[in-house]
Amino acid sequence: MTAVKTNSMTAESVATNEAFHFPQGLAGFSDATEFGFIYEGHGDIVCLQSIDQPEAAFLITAWDEERLGPHPTLPKEQCNCIKAQNQEDVMWMLVLNPFADSSWVTANLKAPIALNLQEKLGLQCIRPDPTLDIRYHWMKQPDSK
Amino acid sequence: MLVLRRKVGQVIQINDDIRIIIQDVQNEHIVRIGIEAPPEIPVHRLEIYNLIQEENKSAGSAGALNWLKGASRDDSSKNEFDDS
Repeated sequence: MTAVKTNSMTAESVATNEAFHFPQGLAGFSDATEFGFIYEGHGDIVCLQSIDQPEAAFLITAWDEERLGPHPTLPKEQCNCIKAQNQEDVMWMLVLNPFADSSWVTANLKAPIALNLQEKLGLQCIRPDPTLDIRYHWMKQPDSK
Repeated sequence: MLVLRRKVGQVIQINDDIRIIIQDVQNEHIVRIGIEAPPEIPVHRLEIYNLIQEENKSAGSAGALNWLKGASRDDSSKNEFDDS
């Protein structure tokens, strides 16, 4: 276990042997390449916490096929980046933004996260399709009526 | 900024491992280029990358973990209310 000073000003424990490596970092946080997961017991939302950059912490949740349809296909070059042999090796997650809208938590459909659980590798897959929503209304804010 | 003139099929080499190949020029306005780079080098259209960068900074740099902790506390207080 390693103690990570997070943005919430507390030391959180992230199991270093459970850390995921993001070779490309995330857009805007290219130096943040090692991440751990922190679960706080709120539904299926987890915090993707950077181990090397405390200010980089993202809420993520699993891609929901019932709402969004089939998950994206990861291009071959990006499969190589996370050592995915095929599409079944890839788990898709969405980055949530609870700060952009006072009523809604939004989800970024334009740049989901692709994880290879076996290899503990991940990347943010930026999709050029202009029809994809960057702030899709995912769920109501917990305190909004 | 370094500016180079290249013809279709010619290549620009950056370091040992990045190549930019001019594929095609259409209507004198659109240039198709191929890029060969190691998998750890992200390559994106600038306007889309900027959008995602801004969204990541909005989503990821303002207390995401605090928000999750607050939402979890709300959940547990609602559960306590439900049980009573």
